[in-house]
Amino acid sequence: MKERKGLIIGSVILIIIFIGMLIKGEPSKNIMVWIAAILTLSIYSFLYRDNIFYKFAEHLFVGVSVGYSVSVVYQNAFIRRVFDPLFITRTYIVEGQFHILPFLAVVIPTLIGLLMVSVFTKRQAWLIRIPIAFVVGSYAGMSISPSFQANIFEQTRSTLHIALSISSFIMIFGVITTLVYFFFSKEHKGFLGRTANVGIWFIMIAFGASFGYTVMARISLLIGRMNFLLYDWLGVIK
Amino acid sequence: MRRQIPLILTFLTGIAIFIAFFIPHKPFNEVQDILLDWAIIIAGFALLLGIHSLLRKHITHIKKKDGGWGYSLILTFFFVGVFTVGIFSAIQYKGYSLTPGSLLYFVYDYMVIPLSATMFALLAFFIASAAYRAFRARRLNATLLLIAAVVVMLGRVPIMENAFFNFLSRFSDWFMFIPQMAAKRGILIGVALGAFAMSLRIILGIERTYLQ
Amino acid sequence: MNVLLAILFLMQQTPDSLSTDTVEIVRPAPPTDVIAMDTPNDVGGSVSVQWEISEDDGKGLNNVILYNVFRGQSEEGPFDYIGTVGAGRTSYDDQTVEKDKVTYYYIVKAQTKEGVESEASNVASGKAAPQWFHHGRWNILILGILFALFFAFYIRMAKGKELFIRKIAGLDAVEEAVGRSTEMGKPVLFCPGIGYLYDIATIAALTILGRVAKKTAEYETRIIMPNYDPVVMSAAQEIVKQSYTEAGRPDDFNEKDIFYLTQDQFGFAAGVDGIMLREKPGAIFLQGVFYAEALILAETGHSVGAIQIAGTDRVTLLPFFISACDYTLIGEEMFAASSYLSRDPVMLGSIKGSDAAKVAIISVILVGAILGILGGLNIGPFGTWFQSLVNWFGRG
Repeated sequence: MKERKGLIIGSVILIIIFIGMLIKGEPSKNIMVWIAAILTLSIYSFLYRDNIFYKFAEHLFVGVSVGYSVSVVYQNAFIRRVFDPLFITRTYIVEGQFHILPFLAVVIPTLIGLLMVSVFTKRQAWLIRIPIAFVVGSYAGMSISPSFQANIFEQTRSTLHIALSISSFIMIFGVITTLVYFFFSKEHKGFLGRTANVGIWFIMIAFGASFGYTVMARISLLIGRMNFLLYDWLGVIK
Repeated sequence: MRRQIPLILTFLTGIAIFIAFFIPHKPFNEVQDILLDWAIIIAGFALLLGIHSLLRKHITHIKKKDGGWGYSLILTFFFVGVFTVGIFSAIQYKGYSLTPGSLLYFVYDYMVIPLSATMFALLAFFIASAAYRAFRARRLNATLLLIAAVVVMLGRVPIMENAFFNFLSRFSDWFMFIPQMAAKRGILIGVALGAFAMSLRIILGIERTYLQ
Repeated sequence: MNVLLAILFLMQQTPDSLSTDTVEIVRPAPPTDVIAMDTPNDVGGSVSVQWEISEDDGKGLNNVILYNVFRGQSEEGPFDYIGTVGAGRTSYDDQTVEKDKVTYYYIVKAQTKEGVESEASNVASGKAAPQWFHHGRWNILILGILFALFFAFYIRMAKGKELFIRKIAGLDAVEEAVGRSTEMGKPVLFCPGIGYLYDIATIAALTILGRVAKKTAEYETRIIMPNYDPVVMSAAQEIVKQSYTEAGRPDDFNEKDIFYLTQDQFGFAAGVDGIMLREKPGAIFLQGVFYAEALILAETGHSVGAIQIAGTDRVTLLPFFISACDYTLIGEEMFAASSYLSRDPVMLGSIKGSDAAKVAIISVILVGAILGILGGLNIGPFGTWFQSLVNWFGRG
């Protein structure tokens, strides 16, 4: 009951402030800005608790975003990569001659992709494993070398960028103890345990630092939204 | 057979791409681009499964008039609406539906972008509440995390112009470059090794949960 | 010198009104020692031209601002213009070569700001050719094969043996989390993040899903899983179904609880937040690939009082999971999880292989550090050894 009362008082105050702003400021005359502003407030309302405004905004957002991504994918995958080359630009016909390779380059992935739909049948549902196997295999093979290059080689090389200084010592010490923390096949006790413990300290300090580093960037996002509400919508600040 | 064919396919594509990385000669230099193109087409078909799942769920809700079926109606309505707009724009702009000026672009600009920005900005509230909780957790690890966070935060936004904050600012830079970077490197090397082991297990068919 | 400046000044002011007959044009010195050769490690169709800078580039008259490269079919020319690079640069890759294994001839001229070109350099000849091996990537191939051998070795060793794997806190908590959810009569939420099935972290997440689903089947608790990638959704449906079958409760499996949401980052976050607020899960698993939405999900999950177990390989997102969740699988711990959970000797062997690779990297860093220190103190040949070690890791 007490909570109710607080809520009502709070809402009344907010509405009064809001009306005051509407009168004092120069509210936007663009209907889309009004819609965007109301949706913004609806989303933030969930910070208090689940409510009809949030539910409305959430379902709208999901619906719009699916519709949007389907449109984009439909265009990138089907129109650009299948329909156009097969029927419009006809990449497989060069100087009146039919070439099998460019033709297969479009037809094979289309057929593999079609196997996705096999999941709707009861008996041939296993065929979906073929496109899955294809995609997972490709990316597994693709990720190995760049990840070696960027993570193992680049990180080892940068660690070895040393000078006779305390910083270099801390760097090497930190990298090694962190790596020791990720030892799985030995129990973390004795010397190994102590080293791994230092490793987790390093990890925690690093996480804290990167947390602190991000805070301001996140707050500036909020300032951006507040700016939209107060400047673009209500026109209170200029 | 239902197991073998997919496993063989994973093996062949995985190995082919891995080897192609080391061969600049034709046709190996094109293997990666071609397979990436193929993956986009295949992902396009996969989206059909997604739409089916989503619509089945919400249309059942609407039909049964379950609690909250109105929201399902909103979702379905906006999905169909935006998709129609997408097709319309694609026809109008000959396949380039995201050309500025198209209706789909308008939807993107006035709906997807502001809604995303709003969700994104929620992080400002959450980063504060997460920090508060880390502060209350009286464990050594949490304390280390919080001290480092405060040091770097104050160093990045000097509240006052004096010797202490100047020092803090330089100290937090050093902090990001040395201890932070050290742990980050250790984690990255570990991740690369773990991912390598995983990729190897996938290619060799040892890891096959994803093919259940 | 003053005369020269005056001439240059005049040329700049009225370039058209001055005829070349009346004013002596001061040409910069041409670049020298031009050589042309096949561009290494490519598919062919490219010749690299290199030269020594002009006497007037950065010194002498100091008036060279660029170099123009020309190509011809024969040594005598004619030479066609093909490209330009700025002063101080000493190479140009001609990627417009039409035929491999045909000799082309190149000259380079220096040019001043006023557009005055130097005499032609010497003529250099070169052919383009494709290569069958990328020589800059030897190091990756060697290390890749070495590490693969480690894995092969330990997998062989592991067969039929009980291998030790250290405790991973987040994984041991799976049972606790599902159990608590059951006691409270609440469902379990598994969120695979916004990765695709081909992301290694997503595949690791699916392995963890298999284990979680087995527990929920045993405890007869509902498991909900919203998806970002429809392929992940299909795979997850099969995995959960399999887990329920193994637990002897195939009828309890509800395919509709593993559903597609949207392929939009924040749309997905909004949807999952809504599900958390309405279903109030007792345990939440945030496993896989996450970006900025990580903290939005984790904090909402915390606010509904769920016990949360997170895991990702994204280093920049881990701090948020650590501060908002009860347990977090950090980077490689998540990959090790799938082996840890399976208890399959072959899988465990591969973890040992990965540890062996770590020992190798630690040794390289230690040896490098010692060489670096000795090199820094100018003792013996250690400095050069150290440099070649660093360079080896920097190739490619």
